This record gives sequence, C-alpha cells and structure tokens, in this order.
Amino acid sequence: MRPERKSNALEDSSADLNDTILSQRLEARSPCRVLVVDDDDLVRARLTALLRMAEYEVESAACGEDALRIMSAKHCQILLTDWQMPDMDGLSLCRLVRTARADSYVYVLMLSVRDSKQDLLTGLAAGADDYVTKSAPVEEILARMEVARRITHVEKSLRSSNRENRRLSVTDALTGAYNLRYLMKNLPRELARSQRYGHPLALLSCDIDRFKHINDGFGHEAGNDLLQALVARSESCIRKSSDWLARVGGDEFLIVLPETDVIGAERVAEKLRKIFARTPVPTHAGAINFTASIGITAVEPQHDIKSAANVDDLLRAADRGLYASKKLGGNHATASGVIGSALKVKSKKGGNNGIN
Amino acid sequence: MGSIKRRPRKSEAVEDGFENLRHAFHARLESERVHLVSLSAALARAEENPAWIFDDLQFRAHRLQGGALIFEVTDVAKAAHALEEAAVCAAKARAGNTDEKVWEALVTLVRLMGDTRAAAAVAQV
Repeated sequence: MRPERKSNALEDSSADLNDTILSQRLEARSPCRVLVVDDDDLVRARLTALLRMAEYEVESAACGEDALRIMSAKHCQILLTDWQMPDMDGLSLCRLVRTARADSYVYVLMLSVRDSKQDLLTGLAAGADDYVTKSAPVEEILARMEVARRITHVEKSLRSSNRENRRLSVTDALTGAYNLRYLMKNLPRELARSQRYGHPLALLSCDIDRFKHINDGFGHEAGNDLLQALVARSESCIRKSSDWLARVGGDEFLIVLPETDVIGAERVAEKLRKIFARTPVPTHAGAINFTASIGITAVEPQHDIKSAANVDDLLRAADRGLYASKKLGGNHATASGVIGSALKVKSKKGGNNGIN
Repeated sequence: MGSIKRRPRKSEAVEDGFENLRHAFHARLESERVHLVSLSAALARAEENPAWIFDDLQFRAHRLQGGALIFEVTDVAKAAHALEEAAVCAAKARAGNTDEKVWEALVTLVRLMGDTRAAAAVAQV
C-alpha cells in the first residue's frame, strides 16, 4: 500500500471513530419530561404518542391551570403549549412560568396555528424559547424538541457544576471543613443573628499541639491525616444542624456554636480535647497520637451583647484563650471573655482545663 | 401445531395508535360538520344579532384548524383558517347575517369536511 493511501485509510478510520462517538453522544439521551398543553384532546393524544415514541416522558394538561398544577407537583424540563386555549392562554401560561421561582429552567416551546411573524414575536416576547406552527411537519416538531432536550440538559449540567463550584469555593479541599472565606462571610451573620434575637453565641479556636514537629518528623501526609482526623472527630462532637467548623490556617480551626453559652462551649471544648487525645490516628506514617489546644469565648444576652462584640473582638478573645492554653503546655481548653462585654472568665478546676 | 401470534413491534403499535387517533379525528370532523350545518341554519335565521354565532364559528374553526394541521388534513385546515378569519372580521365589523365572506368560507369548509369524511370512510373500507 502506498504511504498516502495508508494515511487516507487512517484518516477515514479516525473519521468513522469520530462519527461513532458523535452518534453515541447524540443517542445518549438524558431522561426528559415534557408537559403537553392543548385544549384539544385529540391533538394532545397525538403529540403525546409522538413524543413517547421519541422516548420522552410525557405529561399532559387541557388548560393552563392544570399545567401549573402539574408543574408544581413534578418538574417538567420542557413545556409544549398551545397558544389559544379557553381561560388561561399559552401566552399567560408562559409568562407565569417565567415569573415563577423554579429550581431549574423550563424550556417553553409554543405550538400554534398562528403563523405570522408578529405572532412568533409575541410568543417569544411572552417568554417562549421557541415557536413552531402546527402546520410544521412532525419531523420539525421533533427536531425542535431535540434542541429543547439538549438545551435543558446543558442547563442542568451547568447548574450542577455551579453548585459544585459554590461548594468548593467555601470548602477546604483537604479536610472538607468550611474555609476562611466561609467563616468571614457567615460568622458576622451568626453574630448579627445572636444580637437580634438575644441568643448566646460561642466560638472555639482549636489548634493541634506541636503540629510543626509532627509534620517535620512524620511528613506532610501524616500531618494531613491528622488534620482530617481532627475535623472528623470534631464533627462527631457538634450539632450537625447548627454548629459548624472552618479551617482558618495550617492547623487552626474555628468552631462556631450558635445558641451556646460559655458553659455549654466549655463542655464541648472538653469533649473535643478528650476525643482528640483518646486514640491514635492511623496515618501514612503509622498511628500517631495528637492533642490540641482550645480557646473558648462566647457572647451572652445578659452581658449587653448589642454593644459587646464585633467579629474581630470575638476572634481575638478566642485567640487569647488558645494562646493561654498553649502557654499551659497544650492539651488545654481556656475560656476568655470578649473585650467590652461583661462576660467573666469562667474557671473550671481540675483536669487539664486551663483557665485564663 | 398451533399458530404463533407475532407480537407487534413498538413502531407498529405506535402506528396503530396513530391510526386510531386519525379515525377519531375523522369522526370528529363529521360531528363538527353537523354542528357547522346547524350553526349556518342559525346564522340564516339570526337577522338581528349574529355576533354569538360569529364567535362560535371563530372558536370552532380555530380548533378545527389546529387538529387538521396536526393530523395533516391540510385542505380542511386552510378552509378552517379562512372561516376563522372571516368570522373575526365579521364580528369586528358587527356584520349582519348575510356577510358574504363568512358564508363562502362556511359553505366551502362544510363541503370539504363532508368530502374528507367520505374519502376517509372509503379508505377505511
């Protein structure tokens, strides 16, 4: 075989392969629910049969009100609606669908006997994505439905990747805890909420003792294992519905405890301190024991919390507590009052609980 | 040896479904034709105020047009469209019961529907 012929043959086979991939992509249809709305029962039945043959899941309604009822009960990706119907016409239905708050986009294809340019413009202006006349051949109606299916599929993928991006933007990739960005956005909200309703709010600042030595001695992977273990163990001690934790530095975490006073926070801190130290963590470098130092602070309603604290005061107070715990040799939980508030430093005797 | 019944394929079942719907549409053409004939009699009598008849004609013609287009009976769709337009104009102009365009469109449509129904019946036989 001459070289150029061989090259052509290769090109042909790669073209075949591309065609195959393309056709597989086109054939790989995502499930798609269509709502057919037409006051004519025979037209409805004919369209329903056509669409089912094209592997759509089909719902049908005889009027706009029924259509809205169905759409509120189950999500329909595509709305195929007639224009002229008694009571609520297709234009009004379309406008209502566009103004309603929906979890995801509804693609509206208007199907009408009206075939003037002005009719098409009116339909699109009402919020329809596409407009097709009933005189169009069945193939054209189905082709436009396929466009609708593709667009709704793309919209769904975009929505899901947006959701994932949003989640990643506020999450620490290593530990799965929230990150500093989330903390700086949501801690002020928590504080404002506690001030508005006069509820207490507590904050724990938590840091692994001698983390640098662990990293240097056992390697970063082992250090990472410890950070993950700290988060996992912390999550097992806090209320899933309201408490949350954020990684704010290398081995520093803040745990936010809404509606928790300093006594409650101390209890949680003590629980955390014990659970961190209780059992060694299996790591890449073998099982490693670790302890953590904890700083505790809280704002409470009886201490004039409206004028007591801002976020910086709160963070500083938690840091003071953490620093005091470190000074006591680590593996301590120390409560510290917020400057400007009348919160007294709580003292708890015994154990490893250091008090500032 | 007993006969084995072949299970119809999906596309055949769908085609049968379409055929049933087409028959139902032709049956409706006949009932609509009868209704249009009675409306034309009412129009002939309504010298004073035929507005409600124009409205009814408009509604029926519009519906008929939609169905005829979906079931690909294009000449009926065209005639129904002509009647809808004539009825809309007559209603707007507050025309009397002798409006020529309405009568012409109505007679054409009724005749065509009769012919279509007859042709469908022959085809069915």
